[in-house]
Amino acid sequence: MHFGPILSAMRRNKVGAFLIALQMALTLAILCNALFIIRQRVVMMARPSGVDEANTFSLSNQWVGSPEQIGAMIRGDLAALRGMPGVVDAYATNAYPLRGGGWSEGIGLAPNQKHSSAHTARYFTDDHALNALGAHLIAGRNFTADEIRERSERDKAQPGVMIVTKAVGEKLFPDGSALGKTVYVEDQPIVIVGIVDMLKTPWVSNAWAEKFVENSMLDPYIFISKQYSYIVRAQPGQLDAVMQAAQKKLFEVNRNRVIEKVRSYAQIRADAYRNDRALAIILGTVSAALLAVTAFGIVGLTSFWVTQRRRQIGVRRALGATRRAILAYFQTENSIIAGVGALLGMALAVGLNLWMVQALEMQRLDLLYVLCGAVAVMLLGQFAVLWPALRAASTPPALATRAS
Amino acid sequence: MLKMTHLAKVYRTEVVETYALRDLSLNVREGEFVAVTGPSGSGKTTFLNVAGLLETPTGGQYHLDGEDVSKLGDDARSRIRNEKIGFIFQAFNLIPDLNVFDNIDVPLRYRRMNGAERKKRIGEALERVGLSARARHYPAELSGGQQQRVAIARALAGTPRLLLADEPTGNLDTQMARGVMELLEGIHRDGATIVMVTHDPELAVRAQRNVHIIDGQVVDLTEEPRFHGVHAEARQASA
Ligand SMILES: Nc1ncnc2c1ncn2[C@@H]1O[C@H](COP(=O)(O)OP(=O)(O)OP(=O)(O)O)[C@@H](O)[C@H]1O
Ligand SMILES: [Mg+2]
Repeated sequence: MHFGPILSAMRRNKVGAFLIALQMALTLAILCNALFIIRQRVVMMARPSGVDEANTFSLSNQWVGSPEQIGAMIRGDLAALRGMPGVVDAYATNAYPLRGGGWSEGIGLAPNQKHSSAHTARYFTDDHALNALGAHLIAGRNFTADEIRERSERDKAQPGVMIVTKAVGEKLFPDGSALGKTVYVEDQPIVIVGIVDMLKTPWVSNAWAEKFVENSMLDPYIFISKQYSYIVRAQPGQLDAVMQAAQKKLFEVNRNRVIEKVRSYAQIRADAYRNDRALAIILGTVSAALLAVTAFGIVGLTSFWVTQRRRQIGVRRALGATRRAILAYFQTENSIIAGVGALLGMALAVGLNLWMVQALEMQRLDLLYVLCGAVAVMLLGQFAVLWPALRAASTPPALATRAS
Repeated sequence: MLKMTHLAKVYRTEVVETYALRDLSLNVREGEFVAVTGPSGSGKTTFLNVAGLLETPTGGQYHLDGEDVSKLGDDARSRIRNEKIGFIFQAFNLIPDLNVFDNIDVPLRYRRMNGAERKKRIGEALERVGLSARARHYPAELSGGQQQRVAIARALAGTPRLLLADEPTGNLDTQMARGVMELLEGIHRDGATIVMVTHDPELAVRAQRNVHIIDGQVVDLTEEPRFHGVHAEARQASA
């Protein structure tokens, strides 16, 4: 359209135009970084854990007093749980995927290695664990019942076998299968007898743990501790009923316990990603608010300009401008401002991201987000300008002859 | 050129109805220079606004250049204003954000004229009003008389058939007013039809014909014999 005269007219209102362009630029910069972060979180929150989450729950058990026979008591509980109708399988453990807290361990390729070759989460399990988790063994074998040992927190005895995730195997032996290999944990030799395709660590929403989030090792241990968890997998559709019944059953077996935090995996997942979801919601809200503020800014400034230029709009109408032409004038003016804002904003967005990459170990911003953000800001401008521009277009041409 | 019959214009607000024009009939022929006089509030500006298609009459008929324009839609009226009519306002009404060149360019752009043609016309119009040297100046940098000459150049550049002026000298001193009047007379000589509202009797007598409006009605018509002669010849020639 009439680019030239619109530009020269804008030169005489440049402060307002520049401020709006700047506001649009900042909106764009923050918007696309925020959307990028939100998207990353959403992708992260959707990652599978390797557990049959739909049918599985955890139950935290604490014994009252100082019982001597914890090993036997655990075996008793497990026998009772596994015998319940609707239960697929159950096991006792120190930690489980997405729990939030757990043990981490270093695996070495030789004894007395200074730095471990792979960093992993360490789960104490038994021969029922894979079935109870719904984890898939892709090589080797499960533990056998006679491999299961009791182990307390101070005890370092190793039965000499373990199962690891595929990620651990690949980390330790990038050039071949880890199956059957001997590795070292706490400087004791252990043979990898099985490999599961996936089992996340307890720490899925944590920057430092992100590097080994796929690395888990399973030990054939009954965990002798006053406090530990049971993982129970129910038949499809039976989860709620089994969650209720399991607590009752355990109290029938032994009343001297406190059962806390009976959590379905849906709950465990929600708890694990609580901060990420909160961040996504906050960023989303801030982005929406920012868009609204920018839109109102455009509406405000354009309305002001329309009022200020009422007379010249009347003159333009008198000189032959159609309503459409007046509308187009303000739309073009806004596109110019938004275009400058978008260019500036794209540079700012990339700059902001580069800073976050350096300072906060963020990922590089996908340029598609910058482009989409630019289009969004341009559209926002056109949307916001519409109402004041329509008002301008309705200016009567007779205004040119009537004193203002 | 301009034929109004029983024209009425009523302004309705919630409290009052103002009859700005009532039963106004007037015929302005091609090439005439008509001065419109009348007391303040008598309806002169309203008449000019209706004549220039800035406002629609509430009754009666208006034929412009043989076309019934009383019932046209907004876009068609905009187009006629743009192509056939030139406006000169008392308050000049230049666009303050645009320089002289761009001001004259405004109606030409609405006509979608190509750049070279616009440039040529703007140059000619500026030369005609003697302001070629001021093309890059802004209105605020010009005197009132110069501003009005820019406004005349803006009206001229579109080579309108009908020039409407509402007290074009109302804001100017006598000397500047004389300059503007001379310009208008020149434009008239070149064939344009001019209708000019004025308070100044001295200017009014320089027109070929005076129309007096009182209370929204044409009450007095003085047509100079000189004009009759010219027009009669023209009619004969075209017959
Ligand atoms: N938009 C409007 N709404 C209501 N009344 C109006 C409007 N415009 C004009 N009028 C009224 O119509 C009448 C004629 O006004 P108009 O402006 O045509 O007078 P005028 O002859 O041009 O006066 P002046 O010599 O002072 O310019 C006046 O009574 C005026 O108050
Ligand atoms: Mg008037």
